[in-house]
Amino acid sequence: MNRLGTFKLSGIAIALAAAFGPARAVEPIMTQNVEPAAPAALNTGASTASVGIGYANDDGRRFGQYNGINEKGAYGLIDFNWVKRNDESGTWTRFFGRDVGLDDRQLRFEQQRQGNWGYSIDYSRIPRFEPFIANTAVGGIGTSNLVIPTTLTPGGPTELKTKREAIGLGLEKYFAGNWDVQVKFRNEQKDGTRIFARGTTGTGPAGSFGQFEFAPEPIDATTRQLEAKVNYNGGALLLTGGYYGTMYNNNFDSGLNFTGGLAGLSTFTPIGLPPDNQSHQLYVSGNYTFTPTTRSNFKLAYGKITQDAQFIVPPTAGLPNQLDGRIETKLAQFGVTSRPIPKLTLYGDVRVEDRDDKTPVRDYFTLTQSSTSNGDNEPRSIKTTGAKAEANYALPDGFRIIGGVGWEEKKRNISAIRVVSARETTDETTWRVELRRPMAETLVGSVALMHSDRGGSPFQTTVQTSGAVGSNLIAPVFLADRVRDKVRVSANWAPANALNIQFYADKARDEYSGRDGSNLGPRTGEATNWSLDASYTFNDRWQANAWYSRNDTHFDQSTCEAATSAGVCPASATDPIWGATMRNLSNNVGAGLHAKPTAQIDLGAELTYAEITDQNHLQTIAGGPILGSLPDSHTKTTRLNLYARYALQKNSGVRLDYIYDRFKTDDWTWASWTFADGTTLTENPTQRVNFLGVSYYYKFQ
Amino acid sequence: MLGGKGFFCAALLLVSTGAFAQSADDIRDGKVCATCHADAVQIWGGKHGTKADSRTPIAIVGCATCHGDPSEHLKSYSNPMPHRFSKMAATEKNDVCQSCHQGRERMHWSGSTHERNDVSCSSCHKLHTAHDRVRDKLTQPEVCFACHKVQRAEINRPSRHPIREGLVTCSDCHNPHGSVGRAMVLRDSVNDTCYSCHMEKRGPFVRTHQPVQEDCANCHNPHGTTAPNLLKMRQPMLCQQCHEPTSHRGNVASLTGTSTGANTLGRGCLNCHTNIHGSNNPADLSNERTFRR
Repeated sequence: MNRLGTFKLSGIAIALAAAFGPARAVEPIMTQNVEPAAPAALNTGASTASVGIGYANDDGRRFGQYNGINEKGAYGLIDFNWVKRNDESGTWTRFFGRDVGLDDRQLRFEQQRQGNWGYSIDYSRIPRFEPFIANTAVGGIGTSNLVIPTTLTPGGPTELKTKREAIGLGLEKYFAGNWDVQVKFRNEQKDGTRIFARGTTGTGPAGSFGQFEFAPEPIDATTRQLEAKVNYNGGALLLTGGYYGTMYNNNFDSGLNFTGGLAGLSTFTPIGLPPDNQSHQLYVSGNYTFTPTTRSNFKLAYGKITQDAQFIVPPTAGLPNQLDGRIETKLAQFGVTSRPIPKLTLYGDVRVEDRDDKTPVRDYFTLTQSSTSNGDNEPRSIKTTGAKAEANYALPDGFRIIGGVGWEEKKRNISAIRVVSARETTDETTWRVELRRPMAETLVGSVALMHSDRGGSPFQTTVQTSGAVGSNLIAPVFLADRVRDKVRVSANWAPANALNIQFYADKARDEYSGRDGSNLGPRTGEATNWSLDASYTFNDRWQANAWYSRNDTHFDQSTCEAATSAGVCPASATDPIWGATMRNLSNNVGAGLHAKPTAQIDLGAELTYAEITDQNHLQTIAGGPILGSLPDSHTKTTRLNLYARYALQKNSGVRLDYIYDRFKTDDWTWASWTFADGTTLTENPTQRVNFLGVSYYYKFQ
Repeated sequence: MLGGKGFFCAALLLVSTGAFAQSADDIRDGKVCATCHADAVQIWGGKHGTKADSRTPIAIVGCATCHGDPSEHLKSYSNPMPHRFSKMAATEKNDVCQSCHQGRERMHWSGSTHERNDVSCSSCHKLHTAHDRVRDKLTQPEVCFACHKVQRAEINRPSRHPIREGLVTCSDCHNPHGSVGRAMVLRDSVNDTCYSCHMEKRGPFVRTHQPVQEDCANCHNPHGTTAPNLLKMRQPMLCQQCHEPTSHRGNVASLTGTSTGANTLGRGCLNCHTNIHGSNNPADLSNERTFRR
C-alpha cells in the first residue's frame, strides 16, 4: 500500500537523533572510523587505518548475504581512510577503503583543489549470495545452455550468487564567471546466476508439482552510466544543463537454451533474456529568485530509450529481426514558493511527463493467434500531469496551519485485445490539512489529515481476438477507483536536557471500487504504523537509546475460481468465489548504549530485533466449501553488536567486536516445492552466527 | 554568505574594542571561540576550513560567517550569537547555508517535501565534527531513520536491499535536497531511478507488462518485504489484484495440489510466467504475450 506524504521533522529531535541515532549506537565492525565515500566528507581529522581478523563460528547465509561472511571461518578486516590537505593550495588527497578484506570491498581515490578542480576513481563490489541452496542435477548452470534431467533426479548442492563490480570516475572543474562542469561515469559488470524457471500447465513426474523446471538465469551484463553537466551560478539565476546516458549490454543475448527436460516443455526454448537497451537524456534545470521571499525552480528534459537487440529467434516472415523499440520522454516542471507576508508561505508546482512509446506495432503472430492476443506487440505510452498547491500560515504560540491540494492525471494507451481490465485515464485529487508546531522548547509535533480520491475514465470493455466480450470483473489495483484517508501524528518531547522522546503514528485506509456490477478485485487496504523512541544522556560519557516500532498492514480482495472467458463466475462447489485477507505485522525493537568510562576506553552495544508475521487468510464468499487458509509464516531476526575500543596510545589502539546474528523463519515458499527435474531449494530455518573480530587501529596525526 | 569585506572590517573593529580583544586571525581561525567551544573548531579540519578556497567561512570571517557578528557575545556570554542555530527556525537556518550552498543537486530544494516539512540542513548534517554521518553510506540511514521509522523497520525484512551493509544507501535512490520525481527519487521518476541499477527491466520489449512500465512500486516495496524479490505481497494474490479470473488466473492459493500449489509455492505465478518484466522473444508459437518465453 502506498503511503501518502512524509511525516514532519523536528529540528530538535533530529539533532538529538543524529547525534545519537536510534538505529545504531555502534559502529559496525566493518566500518571503523572510516569516512564517507562522498568527496565533501573530507576531514583532516579522520585519517585512520585498521587491520584485524574476524571469525564466524558457523555458516550464516542470511548474515553474509551481502558481505560474504556466510561460511564458518576467518575473515580479514581491513579499513582505511587517509586524508591530507595541502593548506597552501587547498588540495585534498584521499584514499579510502572499506571492508577491503571482504567480498563487499569498496575503494576510492580522489584528489581535488577545493573550488578549482577535482577527480576521483572508485571501485566497489556488491555480492549477493542467494540465501537458498539449490539441490539440483541441472547441468550447464552459469551458461546459456542448460541441460535438464528428464526425470525427477536428485542433485547436489549448488550455490547461486551474483556479483556487481563497478568502476566509477568523476571529474569537476570550476571556471571563472561562476561556471563549473561535472562529469560522472560508472561502469558496472554483473555476473552470476539467479533463480529462474520455465513451466507450463500439465502433470509432471510424481513427486513434483507439475511441469516446472529449474532454469537458473545466467548473468553476464554490463551497465554504463554517463552524466555530464554544466552548472551556472548567477546569483538570482541558477542553471544546470546536462546529458545523462545509460547503456545495458547483455552478453547472454542469444537467450537461454535447453536440452532435455519434459516433452511438454520442449517448445519452451530458447527463453528470452534481457535485451541490450540504451537511454539518452538532455535536460536543463534551474532556480530563479524573484525576490528574497519568492523563488522558483524548473526542469525541462527530453530523452530517448532505444532497444535494437537482435531477436533470439526469427520473427514472422517479413518482419525485421529487431523490435526497433523507441520511447521518447519529455518532462516539464515548474514550481514556485513565496512568502508574501511573514506569516504566510505559499507553494505551487506543475509537472508534465510524457512517455511516448513510438515502437512500431507489428503482428508477430501471423500464423498462430490465441484468444487473448492478436499477435501485435503492445507499446506503452503514458502521460502524467500533476499540480500541487499548499499554504502554510503561522498561528500564535509557534503553531502553523497547513493546507494543501494535489492533483495528478495519468493518461495511457490501451491495446485493443486484452485479458486485463483497462481504463485510459486515472486521476487523483489529494487534500491535506495539518497543524504543526515546529519550534518550541520542549514539545513539538504535528497532526495531519489527508484525503484522496482516485477516479478516471470508464473502464473499457475487454474484448477477445474473436470479437467476443471477455471478462470484465476486476478493476486493477493501480487503476481502480479508490478513496484513501490517512491521519498522522508525530510528537517530539524533551522534558529534560538529557531526555528526548519521539512518538510517531499513522493510520491509512483505502476503499476500492470494482468494475460495475462486480464485487471482485481489491476491496480495502489498511496500514497502521507507530513507533516510540527515547534517548537519554546520563552524562558526557554515557548515553543510551531505545525504540519500538509496530507496522501492521491489511489488504482484502476477492476473485473467483475459473471464470468463463466471458467473465461468468461459476460460484460452484468446485469453483467458488473466494476472498483473501493478507496481513503483515511486524514488531521491531532497538536499543543502544555508548559509553566512554575512561579516556582510553570506548564501549558500545546495539540490539535490533524484528518479529514479522505474514498472514494469508482465505475464505469462501459464494459457492464451494470454506477454504483452508495458508499457514502463517513468521520471521524473527536478532542482531546484537558489541564493541570495545582501548587506546594504547593517543593515536592507536585495539578494538574488539562481537556480533550475534540470528535468523529464524518458518516461511513455506520453497519448503515443499520440488521442480520436475528434482531440484529443491533449501534454507536452514534457524541460522545463528557468532562473529568475533579483533583489530588494531591507527589514527594518522 | 554574511558580510564579505564589510563584515570583515566590522569584525576587525570589534576585536579591538571588545572585552576580549584578539587579533583578526584569532577570530577567523576560531581560536577565540574555541576557548569555550573547543569541539566546534573541528569544522576547520573539513572543507569549511580550507583557507585557500576564498569561498569558505575560514577565508572570510571564520565562525562569524555563519553565526553572525560576535561582538555582543564576546562582551558577555549571556548575550547569544545572532545566529544561534538551536533557536532558529528551519527557514532561517537554511538561509544561512543557502547563502553559499545552492544550485546543483539542491536546485529543487525550494518547494521540496523536506523544505515544506521544516527540515533544516542541520537536521541531517553535522558540520562541527570530523564525521558527518549523513555523508557516509553506512551511517546515512541512521540519520534518515530518525524520522522515517517505517523504513527503519522495513530494512530488516527478509527481502531487502543491502542497506544494513552500507552498500546501498538512501541517497542512492533519493535526493533529500529535492527532485522532480515522486518521493524525491533521484531521477525524474521511480522507474528511471530503479533502472539506474536494473536496466535489464527497462525494455522496451516485444511483450510488455503494463504495471511494470508504469511504476515499479506497483508491485515492489524497495525498502524491504517479507515476500521474495521485494514484492508487496505473495503470489497469486499479488497478481490477482489486477488479473481477470478467467482460465487459471483466479485459482485459489494453496500449498498442495499440482494446479493450485503451482501459483503459490516456489516462484508462484512466475513458475510459468518467468519473464514477468517483459520478454523480447518474438516466437510465433502460442501464449507468447504471457511472458513464458
